[in-house]
Amino acid sequence: MRLDWLEGPGSAGGPLHRLDARVKLAAVVGFVLAVVLVPMGSWRPLGIAGMVLAGLVGLSGVAPSLLLRRIAALMPVVVVLAAVIAPTHPKASALGAWAVGGTIVAKNALTIGAILLFARVTCFRSVLGALSWFRVPPALVATLHLMYRYLFVLSDQLGRMARARRSRSFRRSRWAEWPLGAGLIAALMLRSFERGERVHAAMLARGWDGTVRSLDGPDRPETLPPT
Amino acid sequence: MHIPDHVLSQPVLIASGAIALGGFSLGLKRLERRLRDRTVVLMGIMAAFVFAAQMVNFPLLVLPASGHLIGGVLAAVMLGPWAGAVVMGTVLLVQCLLFADGGILALGANFVNLGLIASVGGYAIYDPIRRGVGGRAGVMLGAMVAAWFSVLLASLAFAIELAGSGWWEQLPEVLGWMALVHAAIGLGEAMITGLVLRSVLAVRPDLIFGVVEQGDAPPRWGRVALAGLGVALAVAAFLAPMASPLDDGLEFVGGRLGFLSGEEPAMISGPMADYSLKGLPDIAPVTAAAGLIGTVTVFAAGWFLGRASTGIASRLERSPEGPRSGGEGPEPHAA
Repeated sequence: MRLDWLEGPGSAGGPLHRLDARVKLAAVVGFVLAVVLVPMGSWRPLGIAGMVLAGLVGLSGVAPSLLLRRIAALMPVVVVLAAVIAPTHPKASALGAWAVGGTIVAKNALTIGAILLFARVTCFRSVLGALSWFRVPPALVATLHLMYRYLFVLSDQLGRMARARRSRSFRRSRWAEWPLGAGLIAALMLRSFERGERVHAAMLARGWDGTVRSLDGPDRPETLPPT
Repeated sequence: MHIPDHVLSQPVLIASGAIALGGFSLGLKRLERRLRDRTVVLMGIMAAFVFAAQMVNFPLLVLPASGHLIGGVLAAVMLGPWAGAVVMGTVLLVQCLLFADGGILALGANFVNLGLIASVGGYAIYDPIRRGVGGRAGVMLGAMVAAWFSVLLASLAFAIELAGSGWWEQLPEVLGWMALVHAAIGLGEAMITGLVLRSVLAVRPDLIFGVVEQGDAPPRWGRVALAGLGVALAVAAFLAPMASPLDDGLEFVGGRLGFLSGEEPAMISGPMADYSLKGLPDIAPVTAAAGLIGTVTVFAAGWFLGRASTGIASRLERSPEGPRSGGEGPEPHAA
């Protein structure tokens, strides 16, 4: 569904792709914090943040339409929450509910855009390297590593199973989707379990001691060739 | 969809972040003691599974939209409560960092709601029911009831976090709406969890966490107390909108004392103001009815599915070939 977003380094391979992942991670967290701390109804800092983000998007070579489409897909829940919060926000009496709601929506659009840009120009492997450099527990980093590795394997498997199911069922009612979908999930879960056991045995056979090693350390820039 | 940044206030974000950090590291510690070097592999692959399972869309029968499994209770039933929480936390982290689904700063709040409350809290509801009812029917009924309550409790937690961000006087109303919407979502979650577990029970019942080692021993007192607390909180979420006279009273007092006067103009001029004020008297009976109907439906469906799966499983065990997992060939006639 959404995995097409994860292509690692994009085809362009601009200057942001080559930047150290630790710098990018610190920058995106700093950007989010800065945007959060902007007081309600002050549009100038938000406008500056928006221009900075737009400049970075232009520098990165990521297609703006791609980012905008993804931001728009995430906005409905933000708009609903803003509509619930805005009328009774403590600042609403001074600024008006529309200004408060608008600020909430604008801030969220900015931070979502920043995170999406970060994900687009940083391959996940180097995000994990940066996380372990920032002293995130190694067990969590290794778990994320394996999760990312099997995300594509399992979603491909799910796609094959769904295709096989579609080709076997001639007529489908909306009611039948529920047990069929649940059966798909159950089968995928059992296969994941068994795959996990096989993978663990194979890793033990290759000398697994609980740490993920890679040839390039966390401080190396992106080394994947542009696709 | 998860909580974005800029919705909760900073104290709430910090508090939930601290709880989440403590809960996650506690869960990881306990897991490493139990699984040792298997932890990372099993957690990684099951997190990838939960992520993939969330891609399976289930059409809503009345609306032209679809929903998906959340998976907190399913993960907890299969892997144990803390493993479920760690799996959900990993999924949330990836969703936040790679897809911007849920804010970075709200990650703690999201983990408290969907990891700790859904998996650990859900397991606390599931476990006493499983042991009390016993057997496969117990697993089914316990998991479905826990899935339904876990969604409600997560929405309740979100309502409290939202209210803690400066909207205490609106808590009953927010609770009412959240509970009403999530009663429907919880029904879906319970149905999917039950249907998935039915398939698992028919093929590999030994994979379900704790069933083989612990059997049907009577539940521990602490678990029962936790489950009771969770159920009571969820019921309170439904009853909260009933407390509207109290709420009005509070507003009346607040207006008399003057500490709520700042909000008055905004309540009237805001675009949503009439909506939220008029919604209050109507929603209370609807929410309460939804809660009652939902609870009864989940219990009935869990009982029915549990009975049915027990029947299937015992038939399969009696047949000479043993359980069949594939679908190749016609069904053999019963002797």
